Amino acid sequence: MILAGGRVDELGVLTHYRPKSAVPFGGFARVIDFPLSNLLHSGIERIAILSQYRSYSLINHIGTGAAWDMIGRNRGISILPPFKDYENPHWYRGSADAVYQNLDYIRYYGPSVILILSGDHIYQMDYREMIRYHNEHDADLTAAFVEVPYASPARFGVAEIADDCREGGRMLSYEEKPASPKSNWASLTVFCFRPAVLSEVLKMNQAGNSYEFGRDIIPMMMRENYKVHGYKFKGYWGYTKTIDEYWQTSMDLLGPRPKIDLEAWGIRTNLAHRSIADRQPVKIGAHGNLENSMAYNGCIIEGTVRNSILFPGVHVRAGAEVNDSILFFDNIVHTGVRLNRVVSDVNTIFNKDVHVGAPKCEKLSRVSVIGWNNNIPEGFHIGCGCTVAPRIPAEHWPARHLEDGEELK
Amino acid sequence: MRESGDALVLLLAGGIGSRLNLLVGHRAKPAVPFGGIYRIIDFSLSNVMNSGLTRVGVLTQYKPLSLMAHIGNGEAWDFTGRTRGIKILPPRTGERDSDWYKGTADAIRQNIDFILANPSEQVVVLSGDHIYHMDLDAMVSYHQHKKADITIGMMVVPKRDIHQFGTGIIDAGNRIVDWEEKPAVPRTNLASMGIYVFDTKYLLKTLAHDRREADFGMDIIPRAINEDRVYAYPFYGYWRDVGTIQSYWETNMDIIRENSGISPEEWEIRPNPECVGRSGDRGPVNFQAGCHVTSSMIASGCIIEGTVINSVLSPGVRVKKGATVTNSVLFDDTLIEENAVVDLTICDKRVHIGADAVVGYGENLTLPNKQFPKHLYTGISLVGKDASVPSGARVGRNCIVNFGYHDDTHRGHFFLADGESV
Repeated sequence: MILAGGRVDELGVLTHYRPKSAVPFGGFARVIDFPLSNLLHSGIERIAILSQYRSYSLINHIGTGAAWDMIGRNRGISILPPFKDYENPHWYRGSADAVYQNLDYIRYYGPSVILILSGDHIYQMDYREMIRYHNEHDADLTAAFVEVPYASPARFGVAEIADDCREGGRMLSYEEKPASPKSNWASLTVFCFRPAVLSEVLKMNQAGNSYEFGRDIIPMMMRENYKVHGYKFKGYWGYTKTIDEYWQTSMDLLGPRPKIDLEAWGIRTNLAHRSIADRQPVKIGAHGNLENSMAYNGCIIEGTVRNSILFPGVHVRAGAEVNDSILFFDNIVHTGVRLNRVVSDVNTIFNKDVHVGAPKCEKLSRVSVIGWNNNIPEGFHIGCGCTVAPRIPAEHWPARHLEDGEELK
Repeated sequence: MRESGDALVLLLAGGIGSRLNLLVGHRAKPAVPFGGIYRIIDFSLSNVMNSGLTRVGVLTQYKPLSLMAHIGNGEAWDFTGRTRGIKILPPRTGERDSDWYKGTADAIRQNIDFILANPSEQVVVLSGDHIYHMDLDAMVSYHQHKKADITIGMMVVPKRDIHQFGTGIIDAGNRIVDWEEKPAVPRTNLASMGIYVFDTKYLLKTLAHDRREADFGMDIIPRAINEDRVYAYPFYGYWRDVGTIQSYWETNMDIIRENSGISPEEWEIRPNPECVGRSGDRGPVNFQAGCHVTSSMIASGCIIEGTVINSVLSPGVRVKKGATVTNSVLFDDTLIEENAVVDLTICDKRVHIGADAVVGYGENLTLPNKQFPKHLYTGISLVGKDASVPSGARVGRNCIVNFGYHDDTHRGHFFLADGESV
């Protein structure tokens, strides 16, 4: 069961029109392609996606599921949207409620283990190893954790895990977003449940008024003395909860030995979504120049691109400069444009001499983010750390420039 | 939206295309990779799709496996559905026919059952080995408007090339009044593109006329212009028969060149990307720090550390540090090791060029290949599928390194002089 319903406020304009799991990542893929490819390579072939927020982009992306080989007699991806019936008048009120409302789906297939994943994270994991651990230890719940720097665990679910074996151990304590964390093992939101227990605890949880796996289910199971284990994940884990993190995680794709190796990880995407299969190879003009960058088919590069990631159909014209930026599908960057640390959503046009970001790429300057379908007027300047909402009408662009940190709605 | 009714399309994809030499060693000419992510036949299939035509028979004969795998169920060109479809039509034995296709008309004649099983007003006969963009729906409408029995797509070609084509002389109404197949001394510069629209009833009748008439250009059309209504459909756009190594290379280079008239993406040409045998999809092109790439087309999955100028790279090509690729066409997963130099070369899939090797060595472009002087004479060298050129090697101009070439024992200096093959 993939939890893909969330919006994630901090990603702001990137999730105005799509759930976080459908946010483009890696120059051609979407965030959810990472868990889906992991499932493919783990041989797990019966998948449900719980989706609630603006699902169109996600549904469109999943298509038939054929991109991940999830189509066949015994294989498939089902999208489970929220519904109303005579018992239940609610939207999904949280991740645990979403699964609760679909318990019949689980009963229908009668699995021996249920894996619950977040569709929001960038990582490579063979779930079979975790399931093997879960079965060997006869656990009711096994949750995966990863070590994060000590400064950051306050933003995650944090557990103390016994040193039972190399792979993990009994969970000694669990706190959701603690002010003073007791360890630096942060939850990956990858849960392995014994089905009977899952249905039991979800039913119990319905009596309360909060319905989240991290905040409610795990603490309840700890209280009720269920057999809860922590599985220690040792690989790369990229979280993308804020624009700056999204940018940082994207930068991990670059370089000679990138932390995120799309090829080695075997990432698949739906090549029919936005017809990226039909884009011609990247075309580099006589004065095009790319350095430490990625660009997908359909891009036309006549200007200069450094340390950047360009999705299909980005056109960088002669005399434009793109630095440390991530440009989604079909952005057009005209002559004289300077982009430094920009994340720009699909179909945005940077007209002549537009500047975005600090004029010089200082180490600590914050990322500016541009919502989709914007047509930024000629010569307009946008500082660093700025946010521009999607589809700003031509007459709403201010006469003066956007100062650092300003927001345009 | 289609205006002219749903004509049946028959695509002739059986030609050997032997002048493409090593490139057709394992595949039929229509299946030869082109322009980084395409195969030659994608142009014809996409033209059919974009014209709104929905029923296609592909007549295959020579090494069809790669072609059949590429076409698959036709989904890439929207040929799947209740009433749409694409069928592979290989030669078969039957009551009377137990032979290979003897020519274009013979191939169609042997598939009359397919034509009868797919009722249509018109049949469009296309060749699967041309690079062009054409609205076939408009041509069928033109055919109907002229009340023609046969309409032939024709275009003006340079006088020096005309001897390769069927040529027609037309009257003021575009009716063809005279025909010469591959004339030594041409009287016209109007050449047949091998694209025909037939009225279905007329086609069935004319094929029944004389079973010895094996070829449209040689037999059927010369007879038809005297007896029936045969019209030329003039075409003015970009069209290339990439039947020779030189024209194949030039047409690839045209995609890079500004304003050359060819633009696969604008023409909505659809490839059929496969991930057969691969765990993941090809990611974006990776341009490493210090790379230098200009005037080139680079497909997804390539990793560029060195220099690439004026070249077309298929998916998964790797150009390592210090290596230089110029004026070349490299097929999928070719690996150019450090400090190697590749100039004016076509490398088939999975070629390995060793470190410090030079392929396309020296300045003498005019000494033809000794074995195939009519295939390689303009300086282009060929490296076949899965071949490995040893480190430090020197491979000259107009050379051929055969597919699968591999020599572990070669301790000395590997040197292939201009025009030699190995």
